[in-house]
Amino acid sequence: MLRSAARVGAIGRNTKRAYVLLRRAASTSAPQETDVVIVGGGPAGLALASALSSSALARSALKVVLVEAGDLSKVAGWVPPPVTWRDKSLTLKPQEIGAWNYVEDGRTCPIDEMQIWDGISDARITFSAHDDHAIAFSPPGAPSQMSRMTENLNLQRALLRHLHETSAVEIADKVKVQSIQREEREGGGWPLVHLSDGRVLRARLLVGADGFNSPVRAYAGIQSYGWAYDTTAVVATLFHHPRTSFQAPNTVAYQRFLPTGPIAFLPLSPTASSLVWSTKPHLAKALLASDPGVLASMINVAFRLPEVSLRYLHNVILDAASSGAPITTEKLQQEIAWRERSHSIDSRSAYSLAADPTGVPPADADLLPPLVTSIQPGSAASFPLRFNHADEYIGDGPGARTVLVGDAAHTIHPLAGQGLNMGLGDVEALSQCIHQALLTGGDIGSRTALLPYARARYFENHKIMAACDKLHKLYSATAEPVVWARSVGVEVLNELDSVKAAMMLAAGSRPSRARPSGAQLGANLAATGLESLARGVSGVRTLTEGVANLAGAGVQRLLQTLSDSQRR
Amino acid sequence: MLRAGPVSTPRWASAVRARSIRAAHAETQRARLSSVAGSQSSVNPEEIAHFSRLSQQWWDERGEFGLLHKMNPVRMQFIRNKVLEIQREEDESSANETLPLSGLDVVDVGCGGGLLCESLARLGGRTLGIDASSSNIAIASLHAAGDPALASTSTSAKSKGTLSYEHTSVEELSAQRGPASFDVVCSMEVIEHVDNPRMFLTNCATLVKPGGHLFLSTIARTPLSYFLTIFAAEHLLRLVTPGTHTHSKYINPDEMTDFFLSTPLPPDNAMSLNGAQATTQQQASRPWISHLNGGAPLRTEAEIRGMVYLPWKGEWMLVPRGAPGASVWAEACNYLFWVRRPLE
Repeated sequence: MLRSAARVGAIGRNTKRAYVLLRRAASTSAPQETDVVIVGGGPAGLALASALSSSALARSALKVVLVEAGDLSKVAGWVPPPVTWRDKSLTLKPQEIGAWNYVEDGRTCPIDEMQIWDGISDARITFSAHDDHAIAFSPPGAPSQMSRMTENLNLQRALLRHLHETSAVEIADKVKVQSIQREEREGGGWPLVHLSDGRVLRARLLVGADGFNSPVRAYAGIQSYGWAYDTTAVVATLFHHPRTSFQAPNTVAYQRFLPTGPIAFLPLSPTASSLVWSTKPHLAKALLASDPGVLASMINVAFRLPEVSLRYLHNVILDAASSGAPITTEKLQQEIAWRERSHSIDSRSAYSLAADPTGVPPADADLLPPLVTSIQPGSAASFPLRFNHADEYIGDGPGARTVLVGDAAHTIHPLAGQGLNMGLGDVEALSQCIHQALLTGGDIGSRTALLPYARARYFENHKIMAACDKLHKLYSATAEPVVWARSVGVEVLNELDSVKAAMMLAAGSRPSRARPSGAQLGANLAATGLESLARGVSGVRTLTEGVANLAGAGVQRLLQTLSDSQRR
Repeated sequence: MLRAGPVSTPRWASAVRARSIRAAHAETQRARLSSVAGSQSSVNPEEIAHFSRLSQQWWDERGEFGLLHKMNPVRMQFIRNKVLEIQREEDESSANETLPLSGLDVVDVGCGGGLLCESLARLGGRTLGIDASSSNIAIASLHAAGDPALASTSTSAKSKGTLSYEHTSVEELSAQRGPASFDVVCSMEVIEHVDNPRMFLTNCATLVKPGGHLFLSTIARTPLSYFLTIFAAEHLLRLVTPGTHTHSKYINPDEMTDFFLSTPLPPDNAMSLNGAQATTQQQASRPWISHLNGGAPLRTEAEIRGMVYLPWKGEWMLVPRGAPGASVWAEACNYLFWVRRPLE
């Protein structure tokens, strides 16, 4: 009481100076004033820092600090090894294509086609870049693939390089966030971030890009709901023979929905691909514990053999593992050969593991991924799958001035490979939101400034998450009517090109329809270097479009376009 | 006067401001020579408790002033666009996209909790917020003190804005600083609550430098505005304390235009009111709006833009210039008005 009386009294006489002196005297270690503190140096955190450092307005107005516990110099100094692949791959939408200027080109792979089929009925749906009719209207030279694959590290390094070049963002790596406290101040204090190097950052806006166990989310008091799936994802980098000259190059992604979970094959290069296999936890454990040859063979059969045989082989592996004598590669291959014979699979067919990868391929070779010959040592890993969505993206009340992006806000089943895309979508919306607030002199930590971000992303993310969750559940079922219904549905869908094009649009294979694509793409193509990274990763493209064109959607955009055209 | 119980709208704020202003007017009549600002140096504990409570309300973005917080970006968008437009008009290279108000003296008359002032300062303006209520000034100062970007002590670059508050009335300010002392004069949601809008407008206009800007926002006197701001907001939804608004005091856009079309500003009496500061140059002034073109002023002289609240988005929208039928629907309730004082 006494303190606040003194404070207000001081304000009456000489507003700020007196107050500042008072505050300094009260605190022991002076906190460092910052505008944006990003906790977490993963793709989402780096992309946000990169987006903010790309905008001249944000650069001049904001002091941005990125805090990362790990050593980012290892990421920045990452040199792609000639043969081995060091990280898991992720899909990116071509709308982020500008970012590729900083990405090691040889380490990315276009995906022209996706084949997805039912593990029980074999009902198949094919998405191809040619289904997307919008491509016909794109300017020449526009990307025509559906999406591109790259390694996480490659993207992170590209973002870091951009950040080092602009040097507008302070990167505090190898520094942990020890605690986050709320400053004591009438009318609501700012977050104080205590770092392991002894510094205290006073943050106008605290961004949680700190993953599933987000400390920022905990500070903000934001609840999340979700559940763990009884499923573990096995990931690995696979080696295989190149496709023969009679076949399409290795630019087709394959995914088979098995009752235990989907298995996906995602091309990285002509002879390497990435595996994401969601399966039961005990089976994942047994597979990772066994010989790499066993895992390679099981991946091959998982794309090929009927479901009943897969179940049998899983039991063989589990029994062997529980008996303490894991199955050998030879023993497993004998079992597989026997199962193939019992299903009358021709040894020259693509469905047989004995098929010759050279020479003229069998007719059905394009329906299946190439046969895996080996697994990159050390690349196999597993993690439990969960569904988790924060109740809110913006902190409120005692947790004010906080915002969540990426996995801190949402964790998703990887069956559609949308996790990174969602995180980058968050970053794009948030950086646009910050930019807009800066234009009108807003306080970027205020709820008013951040609300458009939550409005743009929450439902969008929820739709994707819900769809992936429903797909997971739908394809876990083995009951005949369910299998029949989903198979008929998929086969009908496969014939409806326009519906498929719409689905691909939603999955992000085209720039989002919210933006006028013609001029936008033109601008993207004209830009090079730094600028196009900025355009791609962030919403900074809007900088070029004047003030009024920035905000909102729907009616507002329509009306604003009108006003713009009149002004020009 | 300020302890008027729980209230629930931004309008109320304006009402309080207006009442305070009226009170200040009265006080001015009584003791013209004593400065209003001079009387606030001793603060009693009761008032402190009261500041804290009000402070929470002014800056609680989900509370009573939520709508006002949401309106702020739209008002700022209009100010930004208009200032930049004129800067470009005169010299393409002088337009400062990053800090459009950089180097300009800006005053917000009836600043309340300082919502608009903080934004004006962030855009580079040397901003002064005045309010006739000392409580509002204390609250605004308290809030600004928490933001290092607004604390003048930490300002490094000269081009960055500054922010200060003063407990005074527009008349007092005029007398103190002299006429024509600000590049930008703003008064948002105040004029519909004052008793003598003509005089209030004149006083605000007097402060504007030649070539400077005057920004106002208020409500039009139409059946729609009666329905929305009085029938719906006050009586039906009880969002606003009944009696907050007086429909007859609302001012229509064309009345605003007519005022600046017919009245030579600053008028001679305003000059004499403020002592011997009138110059022959200023006496030769002309109306700020030279003529109407199809009922509307020239875009370089004055402009009216509607503001519409979109409940489904929870946002205000600045109705685009020349939207079809804007004068019928968009400018029939809340609107923004801009007028520029001609260069001498």
